[in-house]
Amino acid sequence: MSASLDTGLTRGDYPLSVNRPELLRTPTGKPITALTMDAVVSGELSAEDLRIAPETLELQAQLADASNRPQLAMNFRRAAEMCAIPDAEVLGMYNALRPRASTAAGLAALADRLETTWSAPVCAGLVREAAEVYARRDLLARAGAEDGEDTP
Amino acid sequence: MTATQPRPSDQPRHSLRTDVLEARPVNLDGFVEEWPEKGLVAMESAFDPAPSVRVEDGRIVELDGRQRADFDFMDTFIADHAIDVASAEESNALPSAEIARMLIDPRASRDDVLAVTRGLTPAKVLDVLKLMNVVEIMQGMQKMRARRTPANQAHSTSARDNPVQVAADAAEGALRGFAELETTLGVLRYAPLVAIALQVGAQVGRGGVLTQCALEEATELELGMRGITAYAETISIYGTESVFIDGDDTPWSKAFLASAYASRGIKMRFTSGTGSEVQMGNAEGKSMLYLEIRCILMAKGAGVQGLQNGSISCIGVPGAVPGGLRAVAAENLVASMMDLECASGNDQSFSHSAMRRTARMMPQLLPGTDFVCSGYSAVPNADNMFAGSNFDTEDYDDWNTIQRDFQVDGGLRHVREDEILLARSKAARALQALFAYLDLPAVTDDEVEAATYANSSADYPFRDVLADLKGAQAVMDRGITGLDIVKGLESAGFHDVAENLLTVLRQRVSGDLLQTSAVLTADFTPLSAINDPNDYAGPGTGYRLEGERWAELKKLRHVTSATDPESEVR
Amino acid sequence: MTTATPDRTVSLRELSPAVRGTRPDEVVIAVSPAFAGHFTKTIVEVPHAEVLRQLLAGIEEQGVGARLVRVRDTADLAAIAHIGAKLSGSGISVGILSRGTTMIHQKDLARLSNLELFPQSPLLDPAVFRMIGSNAAQYAKGESPQPVPTRNDQMARPRWQAKAALLHLKEFECIEAGRGPVEVEAVFELTDAG
Repeated sequence: MSASLDTGLTRGDYPLSVNRPELLRTPTGKPITALTMDAVVSGELSAEDLRIAPETLELQAQLADASNRPQLAMNFRRAAEMCAIPDAEVLGMYNALRPRASTAAGLAALADRLETTWSAPVCAGLVREAAEVYARRDLLARAGAEDGEDTP
Repeated sequence: MTATQPRPSDQPRHSLRTDVLEARPVNLDGFVEEWPEKGLVAMESAFDPAPSVRVEDGRIVELDGRQRADFDFMDTFIADHAIDVASAEESNALPSAEIARMLIDPRASRDDVLAVTRGLTPAKVLDVLKLMNVVEIMQGMQKMRARRTPANQAHSTSARDNPVQVAADAAEGALRGFAELETTLGVLRYAPLVAIALQVGAQVGRGGVLTQCALEEATELELGMRGITAYAETISIYGTESVFIDGDDTPWSKAFLASAYASRGIKMRFTSGTGSEVQMGNAEGKSMLYLEIRCILMAKGAGVQGLQNGSISCIGVPGAVPGGLRAVAAENLVASMMDLECASGNDQSFSHSAMRRTARMMPQLLPGTDFVCSGYSAVPNADNMFAGSNFDTEDYDDWNTIQRDFQVDGGLRHVREDEILLARSKAARALQALFAYLDLPAVTDDEVEAATYANSSADYPFRDVLADLKGAQAVMDRGITGLDIVKGLESAGFHDVAENLLTVLRQRVSGDLLQTSAVLTADFTPLSAINDPNDYAGPGTGYRLEGERWAELKKLRHVTSATDPESEVR
Repeated sequence: MTTATPDRTVSLRELSPAVRGTRPDEVVIAVSPAFAGHFTKTIVEVPHAEVLRQLLAGIEEQGVGARLVRVRDTADLAAIAHIGAKLSGSGISVGILSRGTTMIHQKDLARLSNLELFPQSPLLDPAVFRMIGSNAAQYAKGESPQPVPTRNDQMARPRWQAKAALLHLKEFECIEAGRGPVEVEAVFELTDAG
């Protein structure tokens, strides 16, 4: 892949699918122009070919930055980190962040896993921040409790 | 049980006019007195906090009168993620009247306003909005809407969860102009079949229309991941910590979920609205608009590109208090002045009065919003599984006429019946072929015929519900994806529909639809706040209904021809 | 809105702190803090006396006993119904709010779950309350009754949503924090129309 992490995109490059298709690849490394009906019919394409690649999310983050939308860019950067995490595990992580669903240790372990296993430091930072706030606002799972929802 | 009770004789006599007024539909609506101490008040409450902000070491340590140690999780999230710390003290020091004037002054550009609003606290935003009347709010919306070109969204559902009906009504809705179509279910297990039908119908009606299926988070995300749906919006957030927790979420869990959608290339927006907190009994004594502003800032902080707001399912609450619809118009404006896509409500049964129903949408229709309705019912309301919308299929001609009367673009157009019948029939046939290809329960020729000419779910033959539910389960078990739908349509000879869907799926590889206010045009160009930014700068600028589009909207079902007054314009 | 029933009022006389029942064939009716006290009728003006009469009749026609309990420290329907279920000898309860919203609960279910929920209080009339009582009693006998048919009215929102919120807020004000559930006796009185 080209040095797409330093493309210095500007608003004029949007939409990438029209103006910069050469920058766009599937997670399997195919150029976006390879996603044709012929390729579908011949069975060359799998569902994996229709997913977004982390590099593309970084490009969109640059466009969001160039449009003065830092929060949106941050969301895309977290998303780029999540691309590799399997669907079920992503949902499991989301559930672990629900109120009183995890202990402090559980959230710390989740953050570590994001950082080490999935190279997702930005996501890990979000989880650590949540853990700190949950501790202060009594939103951690009570030690020993299977779930937070028992006595009213 | 006992004898008829005697009518008490001390009842005063009513006039005949009173009888007439009593019988008017508006008097079936509920109205209540304000109760500000409990948050049952639209936007003018003595119990809302006064604006304040203090920054120390690059961190907000005081927010609207509260010190950092006392922040609840909404304060914390908003202070740490939503508000631009660098400009916060300076922006909040501006007089609210000055900011309100910027919102309506055409010489201040949208970017000029955003440079100020990105640093504002919730109470400061409220302070600004409280200075604005509803016309000024509309002026603000005209400039602050993120996308230059307005659009509209529809609900396409079926009281019997009949996929054939959903496909046909989706095709008609797409043809009439909706840029997004949303479905949901009576029986949730039907979801995969109905979501597929929605997608097929949409791509028959007009290539590039985006679809979604409102479900609980896990299934909604899974259908999106598989490419059966194209976007999501039923991700609810709330303005008080206690109600947020009652919803079993926090700002951090929702922010994580937002990124999860983006990581799969799926467009997503949050949902919130005035009245939800007081409805759930935990408004913490704050006005509905103040709490909604907190939601909007939370959404901004999460980095989600947009928000569906405008009270949504709680519209009966602001609708019942004084100034309620002013607050609802204001919350849409706040979403736009926080630089979010705004899908602006008008999507739930609101009033028994036709006059009130129309008045309710004027503050969104006249200035234009990213989606004027976040669910115009493209099926009769009896088939609307979102519990009814403010407008339905019976109102199509009224809507088109109002667009023509005021020369405003509400996203729809009149379409001749022959075109509609073609699209409906084709959608049903495409679904028939696709179900056969995927070995799902058959769609009969009778059903295709019914779909072509039907109005509501009652006009269709009954389907074998158990077989359908088995088929729906098979879609999940066999791992059927959007790509399989493309293959099926292509092999059955619906090449154009297959190509349309493939192009929509290809979009998630590019991520272009993840940007603020993105829709796909009929030629599959992503149109968002980046390449179609709202450039309103006063009279004669910004989006104007003119040219081809205006010619299209001049058409109605019956318009007498000027050249031949004995006939009608076709 | 007027019904053909005679004017019947009810007051709930507090007996003693509520305890777990021992009869396996009983249903506990758990009422909210303001039911038949601060409030006297549901959101659509069904008198609380009539609500109780129908629930009791529905339970008794199944040959099952009923006990009445007032929950005082919460106005959350799921919590009220779950507390009632845990006090019930059969583990089955009917929880009810002043505005009429009703739930059939079972003690072994999660608090936020339920057997049957009737969320649209404006659509609950005396006949529905009788069916709810009957179904609760059938659950108490270990049977699996057909759920009471739920009704839907798209125009309930514009008509009733805000009033329901108001009633809910008022009910909240009647909460007596820290006071446990109390067993009560229904005292019905027929009053003259005049």
